[in-house]
Amino acid sequence: MATTQISLPVMGMSCASCTSTVEGALRNLDGVEDVGVNLGAGHASVSYDPRQVNLERMLETLHDVGYDVPSVEASLLVGGMTCASCVAHVEKALTGLEGVTGASVNLGLGLARVSYVPGITAPGQLTRAVRDVGYEAEVQDEGASLLDREREARQEELRKQKRNLWFTLPIAALVMIGTFRDMWFFPSVVPSFLGNPYVLGLLATPVVFGPGRQFFVNSWRGLRHGVTDMNLLYATGIGAAYGIAVLNTLFPEAGFGGRGATFFESAVLLTAFIVLGRYLEAVTRGRTSEAIRKLMRLQPKTARVVRAGAEIEMPADEVLAGDVLAVRPGEQIAVDGLVLDGYSAVDESMLTGESLPVEKGAGAAVIGGTMNKTGAFRFRATKVGKDTALAQIIDLVENAQASKAPIQKLADWVAGHFILGVHILALAVFAFWFFYGYQAFFDPNSSFLLSPFTLGSIGVFGFSLLLSVTVLVISCPCAVGLATPSAIMAGSGKGAEYGVLFKNAEALETTAKLTTIVFDKTGTLTRGEPSVTDVVVADGERGSSEDEILDWAAVAERGSEHPLGEAIVRAAEERGLALRHALDFESVPGQGVAASVDGRPVLLGNRKLMESRGVDVAGVQADAERLEHEGKTAMFVAAGEPAAIAGLIAVADTLKEHSADAIARLHKMGIEVAMVTGDNRRTAAAIARQVGIDQVLAEVLPQDKAGEVAKLQAAGKKVAMVGDGVNDAPALAQADVGIAIGSGTDVAKETGSIILIREDLRDVVTAIEIGRATLRKVKQNLFWAFAYNTVSIPIGAGLLYPALNLVVSPEWAAFLMAVSSLTVTLNTLLMRRFRPSLGSGSPSLQQLPGPGARHPSITAPEGRAA
Amino acid sequence: MNSSAAAPETRKVVRWSVLGYTAVSLSLASAFYAAASLIGSYTEVAKAGGAVWVFMLSMIVSMPLVTSAVKARTTAREGVHDGN
Repeated sequence: MATTQISLPVMGMSCASCTSTVEGALRNLDGVEDVGVNLGAGHASVSYDPRQVNLERMLETLHDVGYDVPSVEASLLVGGMTCASCVAHVEKALTGLEGVTGASVNLGLGLARVSYVPGITAPGQLTRAVRDVGYEAEVQDEGASLLDREREARQEELRKQKRNLWFTLPIAALVMIGTFRDMWFFPSVVPSFLGNPYVLGLLATPVVFGPGRQFFVNSWRGLRHGVTDMNLLYATGIGAAYGIAVLNTLFPEAGFGGRGATFFESAVLLTAFIVLGRYLEAVTRGRTSEAIRKLMRLQPKTARVVRAGAEIEMPADEVLAGDVLAVRPGEQIAVDGLVLDGYSAVDESMLTGESLPVEKGAGAAVIGGTMNKTGAFRFRATKVGKDTALAQIIDLVENAQASKAPIQKLADWVAGHFILGVHILALAVFAFWFFYGYQAFFDPNSSFLLSPFTLGSIGVFGFSLLLSVTVLVISCPCAVGLATPSAIMAGSGKGAEYGVLFKNAEALETTAKLTTIVFDKTGTLTRGEPSVTDVVVADGERGSSEDEILDWAAVAERGSEHPLGEAIVRAAEERGLALRHALDFESVPGQGVAASVDGRPVLLGNRKLMESRGVDVAGVQADAERLEHEGKTAMFVAAGEPAAIAGLIAVADTLKEHSADAIARLHKMGIEVAMVTGDNRRTAAAIARQVGIDQVLAEVLPQDKAGEVAKLQAAGKKVAMVGDGVNDAPALAQADVGIAIGSGTDVAKETGSIILIREDLRDVVTAIEIGRATLRKVKQNLFWAFAYNTVSIPIGAGLLYPALNLVVSPEWAAFLMAVSSLTVTLNTLLMRRFRPSLGSGSPSLQQLPGPGARHPSITAPEGRAA
Repeated sequence: MNSSAAAPETRKVVRWSVLGYTAVSLSLASAFYAAASLIGSYTEVAKAGGAVWVFMLSMIVSMPLVTSAVKARTTAREGVHDGN
């Protein structure tokens, strides 16, 4: 079955309960296979079979359960249309695109107005579709960027809740004053008519049917689709309070408690607190998804494309791979590419954290989103749209934020059954107080918590209903549902801020529990390329110097493609030695080389070469053994006729700058560190000594690395594997957490569940610190959410009434519920203050590795965690 | 399943669901009323009000449960037919 995946922007989601409503409604559609909702980003990712369900049906369903998918309009100038048939062609081409919700073409104006869902299609695709059917098309107005639209949608939500709040609060205050009119000093200052139940009813009605209407409409729509959410709790609470108040006002003798039990203030304050909670959550929730917005802000909007020798400015999403782009000083680089000509320095700090601008000449790679500084250059686009490194990182972070951590399973189960559970409980509470509790415990002198009102002559039905409604209102599934995803969102965003990309929530959670980290040696702990570490001059070699020995060796090796030869040539060049051409070059396989340098015969190679040519190496034997003990490869240099030993050159793979520091920090965190390598034990041990690792797994074949990780896991350890190569992929997959270096191979990055964008191994420490901070936050949130509900619901149900003669009024219940949900969000927001222990420089979002052959190619996970 | 076949199926699910949850809710409300009439001396208003509240809560609880159950049953039956 062909499955299509789309990401829908969903407006109106305010809490985790909304997440389950959206998920449930979409999942109930035939043909929808998987749904993942990212509350912070306001996106729903849907996998579906297009033969069974289409986008229109999904949008209808979402609208039915009270959520909207915003569509935006673009105007296209369409050239080449001559008749009504052309109009039909263009309209068909546009409406045939996935994500287009409507298209209307005006032949006279040559204009097409297209409504589309952002994220599914883009103006660039619209113009391409029109061009594909033979007409000219360009976007008349650039339209807002995705970020602008996202901001607009958020601001619209804020405006709506603020409008509701400003409407509700003054009326709520008036109703409160009217209700308390006979108390304290109010009789002297508050006019008596304000205490009249009819006036209170008149004031309460527009609140209940105005801002409160959304709860009734949404819960009814949800119920029709078999989905229950927070709206249902609100609607039942507000509806019951208002209904009883109306009954007692219009028919005071009906036996529902009379005029003394008009709960208009309950209905109004309930609405006010819920609206206040929604407003505050809309404000705070925006902050937890700040990382994604920072990433999106880096996306360039326009590009200067060279077409037929002229530079044309166009939207960045219309650039095609292979286009040549011009970049002027101070301009942002639009897409990823390779410099063709020109020269400049590019500020990549927003991506790499590198404070100094990076020089770019012909052949250098440039990354979309970075800023050109001084010069001008042209480059050919290699990756555009969703393929750019920046777009892939955004995708990766969004996926991680939408995925679910294992710890969320319990919370999800509770949140999913909470609403029904609470309604069943409300039913039970009502039955208990109706049939038994009222007769057994009711005292007319008892009162509401924090209120001067006594319950007075309230009847059995009114009292039982009051406690039943309080249970509905005081319960807070939002806090339970929000506890984990909000922290995961903050944690993965924090990771992106410091160059650590978590592919899913499970990786974030498992990272916090790691006990052992296994590092691959070559390319991970070390630079992965040999370099000259020592030059030793043999005793008695009068007149010879280190430079001279290096010079002979470099000239002999000039043109060599052997890694050791290249290292020697590089070292000589770094010392400024002028390399000449050698004569009589002879390569001795497995031993070394022989050549004539400036007329002098030179031998460079291992012991075997020296022995075969009769060179006595006794003078440097001790040095050679010392160097080899240090894990270095010692190469003997002999010169002259007959050949005599002149010295030694040691070559080794050197440690990366921060490897030792990273290991020391991991040890300090109580984490066991091991190194796995295919190298011989002596070399491995030498590297391990330098870096401070005490557990070495040497001479391990690539295919056995995974086995070594499995052995550690079998010993009960939570293991992370850090690697960069293709041969590390099985071990990365076997480990509880695979950590891939961003500059490594695509295979490693696809396999790893965490990608370190920089090559700095201290980011492993940062990853663990972020994982631990996130898990801590999840636990705090869950504790609070469960504790709140465990304590508040029994109190709301009247558990303390027999002992204290106090009941919680519905309005206080609403206030506590709103505070509880907000507390979880605010607690999560504290993660914004998190700084990794490194504290190195300013955090940079999405730090990408430098340009060149190791161009970043971040691969998003294929599926979302369920 | 195609869209033309889906509509009657959906209508069938809706019809059976409405019948199901209304019946459940009415039964519970009637049981409440009967219990209130048999136990203690409640006013008619309390009994009727209580029955209405029980009916409402029962509807809220049973609507999603019954709808899902009917839908699952219909889908399963449809699957059997498809299989044949």
